[in-house]
Amino acid sequence: MIAPFSHVLIVAGILFALGAFCAVVRRNLIMIVLGIEIMLNAASIVFVAASLHLNNLDGQSFVLFILAVAATEVSVGLAIIVYAFRRTGSFDPRNFNLLR
Amino acid sequence: MPGSPSHTLDLAAMIAATMLPLASCLVILIAARSRPRLCAALSIGSATIALVCSIALMALNSKMGAPIQFTTDFIASSGLNIGFGFLLDRLNLLMIVVVSSICFLVQVYSLGYMAGDSGFSRYYGFMSLFTWAMMSLSLSASLLQLYFFWELVGLSSYLLIGFWYEKFSATQAGKKAFIMTRAGDTAFFIGILVLFLHTGDLSIANLGSRAPLAHLSPSFLTLCALLIFGGIVGKSAQFPLLTWLPDAMEGPTPVSALLHSATMVAAGVYLFARLFPFFSLSAVAMSVFLAIGTISMLLASTMAMVSRDIKKVWAYSTISQLGFMIMALAAGGYFAGIFHLTTHAGFKALLFLCSGVFIHHFETNDVYELSRRGARRMLIPMVSMVLGAAALSGIPPLSGYFSKEAVMGSLAGLADPVWLAAGLTGVFLTAYYTFRLIFILLFPRKSEVSSAPSHESAPHTAPAMALPLIILATVTAVLGFFETPLKHFLENGMIPGIVTGVRVGAWPHMAALALALAGVALAWTEFGRKGAEQIGFIDRIPVLYRLFSERWYIDRFYALLVDLVVDRGLSRLCNLNDRKVIDGGIEGVCGATVESGKVTAVLQTGMVQYRLIVIFAVLALLSLYYYY
Repeated sequence: MIAPFSHVLIVAGILFALGAFCAVVRRNLIMIVLGIEIMLNAASIVFVAASLHLNNLDGQSFVLFILAVAATEVSVGLAIIVYAFRRTGSFDPRNFNLLR
Repeated sequence: MPGSPSHTLDLAAMIAATMLPLASCLVILIAARSRPRLCAALSIGSATIALVCSIALMALNSKMGAPIQFTTDFIASSGLNIGFGFLLDRLNLLMIVVVSSICFLVQVYSLGYMAGDSGFSRYYGFMSLFTWAMMSLSLSASLLQLYFFWELVGLSSYLLIGFWYEKFSATQAGKKAFIMTRAGDTAFFIGILVLFLHTGDLSIANLGSRAPLAHLSPSFLTLCALLIFGGIVGKSAQFPLLTWLPDAMEGPTPVSALLHSATMVAAGVYLFARLFPFFSLSAVAMSVFLAIGTISMLLASTMAMVSRDIKKVWAYSTISQLGFMIMALAAGGYFAGIFHLTTHAGFKALLFLCSGVFIHHFETNDVYELSRRGARRMLIPMVSMVLGAAALSGIPPLSGYFSKEAVMGSLAGLADPVWLAAGLTGVFLTAYYTFRLIFILLFPRKSEVSSAPSHESAPHTAPAMALPLIILATVTAVLGFFETPLKHFLENGMIPGIVTGVRVGAWPHMAALALALAGVALAWTEFGRKGAEQIGFIDRIPVLYRLFSERWYIDRFYALLVDLVVDRGLSRLCNLNDRKVIDGGIEGVCGATVESGKVTAVLQTGMVQYRLIVIFAVLALLSLYYYY
C-alpha cells in the first residue's frame, strides 16, 4: 500500500464526520439517508485499509456485505421516503413527529 | 383455704349470687325479649336468689375471722400473677346485702313503673346486667377484676340512663355519664398499672394488709392513691366530675334509684372503703380526698337549694351525701363512711322511688306542678317520702340521723375545725333543701290550687310500687338502731392500727342536730307556714340564684374547655395536619410528578435528527471516557 494506514484512517474519519454532519443537520429525509450512506462508506474504507494493512482478506469480504446492506437500505429507505412524501408532500423530518 | 363444708357452701352461694343475674341477662337479651312477663320473672327471680344468697352468707359468716378467699390464676407469667375469684370479708358481706336488696326492691318496683313500656324486656335485661356487675364488683378478689366490673357497672348505667333512646336528651345524658366517668376511670387504670408495676401484686387482700406496700416511698404511694381516687371521683360524681349525675336523671326513675343508692355511685365509696388501709398510708392523699369530699358536698347542696326538678334535687343531694361519705372515710372514720353508705342506700332509694310514684302518676318532674296537682293526697308515697327526707336531713330517730352523727364524730376527730364546720354547714343545707321540697309538696300555694282542677279521689298507688316503698320506709326507720352491732361487726374484721375516729365530746352531735332542725325551721318559715311566699332566701339574691342553678357554671366551664381544647385546639390542629401536611404532601408529590413530566416532555420532540445528535454525542463522550 502506497499511502500510509494512518492517512487513510484520517480520510475515513473526515468522511464519517461529514456523513454524520449531513445526517444531523440537513432538514431533508433524502439527505439524511445520504449521510448514513456516506458514514457506511467511511467504515468500508477503514475495512479495506485494515485488510491491506494486516494482510487479511476478511475485511474486504466484509465490505461486500456492507455494500449489499447499503443497497437494500437505500432501496427500502427511498421507498419509505417516497411514500412519506406522497402522504405529506414534504421531505422535512420535523413533520414526522407523530410518535412524540 | 377451700375444703371445709362451710366454705364450699360459701363458694356456692357466691357463685349463685353473681352468676344467676348474668345468666338471666343473657337469656333475656338473647332469647326471651318477645315475652316481657317471662323476662321480669327471670330477672326478679335471679335478684331474689342473689338476695337470699347474700343474706345466707351474712348469716353463715357473722362471726368470721380472717377474710375468705377463693382465687384462681387469671394472668400467670413469670413474676406476674393476677388472681381472679372471690374475696369475702365483713365489708363486702354488708355491701352485697345492701346491693342485692336494693336491686331486688327496685326490680319489683319497676314492675309497676315500667308496665307497658315498649322496652320492658330490654329494661329487665339491663337491670340483671347491672345486678351482676355490682355484685361481682363487691366480691372481686383482685384490683384488676374489680376494674372489669367497675367498667361493666359504667356500661350498664350508660345503657339504663340512655334507656329511652328516642329522647335526644337521654342519649346525651347517657353519653355524658359514660364519658365523664371514663375520664376518672382512666386515672384509676393508670393507678392500677403503676401500682402493679411496683408491687407486682393486685390482690385486694394483700393491699389491705399493707405488707407489700411498706417499702414504697410515700410520694409514690400518694401518687398511686390519687390516681386510683380519680376513679372514685368519676364514679361517685365528686368534684370536679360531678355534672354527669344530675343529667343522669334522664333515665327511668327506678334506674335513678338504683344508680344513686346502692350501685353506680356507691361503687366509688365502696372502692374507697375496700382500699381504705392502702389509702390511709398516705396522709397527703387523704387530705386531698377530704377537700374534694367537702367541696362536692357543699357545691351540690347549694345546687339542690334552687332546683325545681324533684329528681334533680335528690340527685344533687346524692352528690352531697357521697361527699359526706368521702369526707368521713378520708377523716379516718371507716365505719362512719360505710354506715352512711348503708343508710343512704336505704333512704335515697326510698326518696327516688317515692318521686317515681309521683312522676309516674302526674307525668311531670316539676315540684310546684306536682304540688299544685295534689301529690300530697297520695298517702303511701307522701308519708314514705317525708320519712326518707327526715332521714336525709338527719332527724332522730331515723337511720340518717345515726349515720350523720357518726360522720360528724369522725370529722370532729380531726385537728382542723374547718372540716367539722363545713360538715355542719352541709347538715344545715341538707335539711333546708330537703324540707324546702317537702313543704312545697305538702303545702301548695292557695291561689294555684283553686285554679287547678280538683281530683275526685285520692290517686291510687300500684301494689308493686307501694310494697318496696313500705319495706324501705321500715328499713329507714329502724336501721339506725343497728348502729352498734354493725359497728362491732365491721370493726372486728378490721386490720388493727387503722384510725377509726377519735372519741370526742357530744357537742358536735348536738350541733349537728340543732343545725338540722334549724334548716327545717328555715324551710318552714319560707315554704311551709301559712301565707309563706314559697320563695327561698337564695331566690332573693339573683347572683347566687343564677350561680347555683347554673351549677356553679361547671358545665359551662367544661363546654368552654372542650370548645377551646378539643374543638379549637386539637381538632383544629388535626384538621390543619390533615389539610396541610397529609393532603399537602400528597398533592406536592403529584404536582412534582406532573411538573417534572412537563419539563422532560420538552425534550421529547419526536424529531429524528435530535436523537441522532444525542446518539453521536453520547458515543463521542463514551469513547473519550474509555480512551482517557
